Amino acid sequence: TDVLEEKKPPFDFKAYMIQKAESVNRALDEAVPIREPVTIHEAMRYSLLAGGKRVRPVLCLSACEIVGGDYSVAMPAALAVEMIHTMSLIHDDLPCMDNDSLRRGKPTNHKVFGEDVAVLAGDALLAFAFEHIAVATPGVPPSRVVRAIGELSKSIGSEGLVAGQVVDIDSEGSDNAGLETLEFIHEHKTAALLEAPVVLGAILGGGTDEQVEELRSFARCIGLLFQVVDDILDVTKSSQELGKTAGKDLVADKVTYPKLLGIEKSREFAVKLNKEALEHLSGFDPHKAAPLIALANYIAHRQN
Amino acid sequence: SPPPSISTRSRSAQFDLKEYWTTLITDIDRKLDEAIPVKYPEQIYHSMRYSVLAKGAKRAPPVMCVAACELFGGDRLAAFPTACALEMVHAASLIHDDLPYMDDDPSRRGKPSNHTIYGVDMAVLAGDALFPLGFQHIVSHTPSNLVPEARVLRVIAEIAHAVGSTGMAAGQFLDLEGGPNSVEFVQEKKFGEMGECSAVCGGLLASANDEEVESLRRYGRAVGVLYQVVDDILEEKSNNGQETVSKEGKKKGKSYVGVYGVEKALEVAKELRDKAKKELDGFEKKYGDSVVPLYSFVDYAVDRGFSIGDSSSQWEF
Repeated sequence: TDVLEEKKPPFDFKAYMIQKAESVNRALDEAVPIREPVTIHEAMRYSLLAGGKRVRPVLCLSACEIVGGDYSVAMPAALAVEMIHTMSLIHDDLPCMDNDSLRRGKPTNHKVFGEDVAVLAGDALLAFAFEHIAVATPGVPPSRVVRAIGELSKSIGSEGLVAGQVVDIDSEGSDNAGLETLEFIHEHKTAALLEAPVVLGAILGGGTDEQVEELRSFARCIGLLFQVVDDILDVTKSSQELGKTAGKDLVADKVTYPKLLGIEKSREFAVKLNKEALEHLSGFDPHKAAPLIALANYIAHRQN
Repeated sequence: SPPPSISTRSRSAQFDLKEYWTTLITDIDRKLDEAIPVKYPEQIYHSMRYSVLAKGAKRAPPVMCVAACELFGGDRLAAFPTACALEMVHAASLIHDDLPYMDDDPSRRGKPSNHTIYGVDMAVLAGDALFPLGFQHIVSHTPSNLVPEARVLRVIAEIAHAVGSTGMAAGQFLDLEGGPNSVEFVQEKKFGEMGECSAVCGGLLASANDEEVESLRRYGRAVGVLYQVVDDILEEKSNNGQETVSKEGKKKGKSYVGVYGVEKALEVAKELRDKAKKELDGFEKKYGDSVVPLYSFVDYAVDRGFSIGDSSSQWEF
């Protein structure tokens, strides 16, 4: 078998991402059909199906596979995480929050549907995420699904995503927001929504407690990595390249890594996080780990 | 439909709903207080607590959830976490409904609404945090020796569905949009869904069978709308029919009374009461006296024979 192993072609990350993102997009389209009242469902679909690289759902599917699960059992959880990510973007873009008019190169949800519908569409996506995991997860013992729902709810509420957003709002225009505040924001705001899909995928795929925790540590590294790279790109790229308003963080006087550490030190920090992330995968079967390894490298080296 | 038996009616009259209710409110208030401790960043917890722990809240959804659970001999300890979650997601919906670009209500239950105190941004986030906290609370607090995990999943799905795009969010959307003949739909969605969900969850937690759950569904929906219709009638009477905006800032066109007048609203109330009682008649044959709390809920909705909590606040199913 060794000989056969060596003959295996190297892992084709691009093909993997395209194939997985396509199945995610198809499943999202089916999971949220147009119903009455039509406008809310159109608003939900507008932001949910607006493209995006589907990094979060693919992480969920890959984490399920690395522990030996079939990715289909993690698909509803993968979609749920994308629904919640979308909801947080819709609410984050509102005039009372970041007041953004452009997202992924398109007018933001409230620009198209109004603030009232944008709030409701976000709330509906949040609720549906939980309903979908609870109802649609196939062939997994209920105890695992319950555990996954507990993890997801914790990561997006006042101990997770929302805490990050609150501290983020507070830190705007504040002169004394230091590295500690910055890390709190990103560990909660960004990392929580990368940790959740990885942990959910591992739980639903049948990973041991030890594997779940190892993958949680991996996810925390790439979550922070994601944000450091985002901050660097915000300074170095144009709006067109990013598909969103560049330099927004500077204008809003937000605390960022380049502002606190400088660009060079921020880059060094990114390299360190990337290395640490990969170390957490070293105990897994290298073939099964290939997608997560490639995802970590992709997050480190992405251009938008 | 056959009327409920005389014996049940008298038992229902003797049953001390006020005692049952106030005892449960005390328990639920304490559990909610414990469920939302203040941590960093404190302001979001203060904002969440402000709406969930509002004084004088009647806790109708959690009390109905517990009563439905006890109908089947379920332990109320099995129902408490879900009962608390119902209040959390309900509070989240109300916080968002009150926002300036929604109903634009500066007050709720006679107190400033959440965004009036904490700002629009915190109010949006408090709602966003209370929805998942409800689910988290069910998962972490439901005793696994009393409720199988498959049932916990059904409860979570039920609550998520009730607040979602075809439930309460749909009701709020159509309320904002207005339009002809929308009042029934809006009332069903905004008030019926919560009553329905509360009763169904109680039954699910006590391992009620599917037929029983469907019966609770019809019962809860009828009672939820019934409370609102009676509230509208009482309000109309206290206003002596003067053209006015209600305490909740609701315009006349958005209530049964405003659209159809008191006479028709009274007829609707009677139909809803009979509908709810008819569902309970089936339970009485099988479960006897344990159906009494659910009967007295219906009678109370119509009679309002005593006040619970802050008498100035509405029922808000």
